Amino acid sequence: MAKRDELREEMERQRDEIIRQRNEIIQSIQYASLIQTSLLPQKKQIDKVFPRNFVLYLPKNIVSGDFYWMVSRGRKAYFAVADCTGHGVPGALMSILGISFLNEIVTLRVNLPANRILNLLREMVMKALHQTGDSTEALDGMDISLCIYDQEKNILQYAGANHPLYIIRGDVVIEYKPDRMPIGVSGIEEQPFTNRYVELKKNDTLYLFTDGYVDQFGGSEGRKFKFDPFRSLLLKIARLPMKTQKKVLLETFEEWKGEYIQVDDILVMGIKIP
Amino acid sequence: MKLLAFRIRNFRSIIDTGWHTLSSDNITGLIGQNESGKTSILEALNSFYDGKISEDTLRSDLSMPVVSCLFSVDHDNEIADILKEKLLPAGVIEQIRADKSVSLERQWNEDLSSRILLGGEKVMALFDQHDEVVAAKDARIEEAINSVLQKKKDVIASFQQAENERLAIETRLNDAKATVNEISRALKAKGKKDAEEKKKLQNQLAASKNKVNEIKNLLNEKSQEVQKLNKDVQAVAEEARYAEMSKEAWREFEAIQREQNEVFGRLTNLQRLYDHALSEKERRAIQLEMDGVNDRYMKLLKEYEQARERAIKRRLMAYKIHEGLPPAAAEKETEREKPHINPFYTRLEAGSLIMEHIPEFVMFEDFSSLLPNRIDLDDILNGNAATEGYKAARNFLEVAGLNEAFFRESNSRILKQKIEKLNRDLTVDFQDFWQQRIGRHNKITINFELEHYDHTHPDKSGFPYLEFWVKDRQERLYPKQRSRGVRWFLSFYLELKAAISHKDFKGKVLLIDEPGLSLHARAQEDVLKVFEHIKDKVQVIYTTHSPHLIDIKKLYRLLAVQRNIHNDENSETEVFDAKSLTSATADTLSPIYTLMGSRLSEQQFIQKKNNIILEDLTNYYYFSAFHALLGYPPEAFFLPATDVSNVQTLVNLLMGWGLEFIVVTDESPEGLKTYQDLKKSVYGNDDNKIREKVILMEGFQGVEDLFSTLDFKKHVLHQRIGIPESNSDYVRDNKLSRTLLASDFLKSIQEMKITDFDEETRENIENVFQAIVERLQP
Repeated sequence: MAKRDELREEMERQRDEIIRQRNEIIQSIQYASLIQTSLLPQKKQIDKVFPRNFVLYLPKNIVSGDFYWMVSRGRKAYFAVADCTGHGVPGALMSILGISFLNEIVTLRVNLPANRILNLLREMVMKALHQTGDSTEALDGMDISLCIYDQEKNILQYAGANHPLYIIRGDVVIEYKPDRMPIGVSGIEEQPFTNRYVELKKNDTLYLFTDGYVDQFGGSEGRKFKFDPFRSLLLKIARLPMKTQKKVLLETFEEWKGEYIQVDDILVMGIKIP
Repeated sequence: MKLLAFRIRNFRSIIDTGWHTLSSDNITGLIGQNESGKTSILEALNSFYDGKISEDTLRSDLSMPVVSCLFSVDHDNEIADILKEKLLPAGVIEQIRADKSVSLERQWNEDLSSRILLGGEKVMALFDQHDEVVAAKDARIEEAINSVLQKKKDVIASFQQAENERLAIETRLNDAKATVNEISRALKAKGKKDAEEKKKLQNQLAASKNKVNEIKNLLNEKSQEVQKLNKDVQAVAEEARYAEMSKEAWREFEAIQREQNEVFGRLTNLQRLYDHALSEKERRAIQLEMDGVNDRYMKLLKEYEQARERAIKRRLMAYKIHEGLPPAAAEKETEREKPHINPFYTRLEAGSLIMEHIPEFVMFEDFSSLLPNRIDLDDILNGNAATEGYKAARNFLEVAGLNEAFFRESNSRILKQKIEKLNRDLTVDFQDFWQQRIGRHNKITINFELEHYDHTHPDKSGFPYLEFWVKDRQERLYPKQRSRGVRWFLSFYLELKAAISHKDFKGKVLLIDEPGLSLHARAQEDVLKVFEHIKDKVQVIYTTHSPHLIDIKKLYRLLAVQRNIHNDENSETEVFDAKSLTSATADTLSPIYTLMGSRLSEQQFIQKKNNIILEDLTNYYYFSAFHALLGYPPEAFFLPATDVSNVQTLVNLLMGWGLEFIVVTDESPEGLKTYQDLKKSVYGNDDNKIREKVILMEGFQGVEDLFSTLDFKKHVLHQRIGIPESNSDYVRDNKLSRTLLASDFLKSIQEMKITDFDEETRENIENVFQAIVERLQP
């Protein structure tokens, strides 16, 4: 009897220890989350360039492997939505790396076109992760859609690493396809990213997003949400106020997910061109 | 006077160099491959001065050497002062004054003797003109004399003919008279009854008498003619006698001249036999014969002068008589005029006199110029030039200001002190020239001692000799124990010092074959410094194929020497001066290429236009590769400086040569500095002007940055690592060889392993090449 008590006490002690450690970790991650959040652009910062916008940001865990980023330089606004390999802590660490590198690039290298920013970002990531193209090394990196918006000329540059850009103009979704390669080393030798120039029109709506939304399992058949429904959804909501759009996207997501667990971090950024 | 230019003909491999001007700053370098004929040029110049050549100097076609040198004239009256004893043809002095230079020409004869002539095209034309006037006068005189003789001949012939005719008429008269007599006799024999016959005879008689009268008249006329002609003969006889005497005198003179030539030929022939005689006996026999021939020759020389004087005088006298002077007056006048003495300088006389005033040409040769260990004092004082080290030892004494008297000092202690002081002075001076470290303390002294041979040299026992030492703190060594480099430099220094310290120093042209061949690179550069140091007093002409003996900023100092047919040692030597250096072959110019640091075999070197100066070899390789890939502009000649800091040197050089160029530089601190320096020093701080010629690759710290990082990794580094920094920074930070990467890249392009770049690289390269195209000449 005494032995059983001892055993229970031991188990309780271990449970408490685990709870303590878990709480410590959660506290630590929550704190990390604060840091991560503080690295993301503030709402007013985005509002200043694009008064009508939304960001739907739903980390799977406390910290996220997804991040969005925006910096203004003169008449140009640089913004991006990215998804780092992995989620949780490893993804978060990678995202911090990505944010730092992007800040460094636009600070030190003036007037680089979007694709060259991605080229350079890839160099930085590869160097940071000591990637050499050796087939045995981990293929860590990130996918990203990066835009540069020239406020005066109303011209947008887009370059994408596996992430497309949707622009909804009137009743049409214009899809800008990304280069099929990540920021980081991959199976094939690095190629330069492609730059796209888009002449924007007033009320064009831009959507940048990670693949968490479309990859979410759910619905009655437990399948992925997929791109086509996502595109249709965006087309449906594009004329709505940005806040409403965000709400519809969130509700649609929750509804789709239902009882399924969130597969990945979710990030959708919507911007209405003034 | 200063040597300005030279022209060499028919000297070893040289057929005709044409005129080549020496560098105006007194240092002229002859560059070229071995066997190109560089040394022949030095030898030819040396032979110009001393007149000596050897048989092997002659070309196989036996055309005789001629070396011409042009000298500056320091002031208007310099030549007039030298040539003041006699007259010069009209205009010669004025021409020399106008040219501010005078040309001398040494011509060799087949017996290897030579003569110096005053040269120069215009001056020679004036002499020719003068000679023509003199010759015309001589011809006129000759013609007059011949006409006298011809006249005499004609008059005598006419007289002879008239006399013959007169005699013929006389005969005819006699015949006519006989006919008259015969008819008279026949008439007397006829009686009265033959009245008719008589009548007939009487008619015949009358006709015959008429004829006689006719012939008498004719005879009378002819006799008068004969008498007149006889008078003419008498008249011309006196004049012709003097003309004949003149002719006779010339025949004698010419005969002596012929004999003299013949005897001279025999003499040189005997000399040759003597030189090659196999035995002493043979030599003695030849000597004996030679003495006899020599006597005859000397006598002929005297006779020649006398005969010449006589011939010239007689000719003039005959002419004067022909012109109407009575013989006595003509003779008196001729004696007074002294026609055998030319009042004008010949080119030979003028040349020889001017020759005495030109700078001394000295060939610095190793054998006699290197300081020996020891040399007999007698050999020095007696001028025994064949002694090893003679020249260096002489130079030493000259520099030290010593002569025979110095060594006569009987007090050995005083002599020793004197020697010690001299040793010290020499050393101090030497250190100024010699920058090399020798021994631990970089200090050497030259010592010399006066010693006497002891019993170990029985043949010389008691004779004085000089012994030389080169000392540093560690060692005391004979010159020959020192390195050849030290010994060369030391001797070279003595030569220069001696040249300058000479009392009646009239300038010197120092000819040096491959100076400092035994010196290492830095010491060779010291040689160049010494040249700079002395160039105000001594003109230096040296041969070299060492890049260390070339000042890249002063390429105007160079003459390139090469064979007409590349690599053919039997072909003619040709010389290119600084302005046409580009016509010389790459091999000839290799020292310059070395200085410029480019790959010789691939270098197109400097062209008249479309030269593109690049910072260095790395740039050269990349730009050559880009050029090959782009295929434009059609004409672009990339010139690599050894370093960005040398770009300005190249710019100055090309500007100096009047060659078109542009410059491409990057925005590295050094590149920017070069840009700013050029702007300030070459383009008068004018931004527009410099932009026309200098392309600043804005935004690029190095040529490597023209590549996108991806292309740089893919085509140059062949790695997939991440390079966030600029390509140029990466190469520098990782201590990679820029040049090697660049040359490998060029190789890949040449092997067609790379055919295109990404858009970023393409744009960068195209922008730079577009800027180049805009600035190049069409």
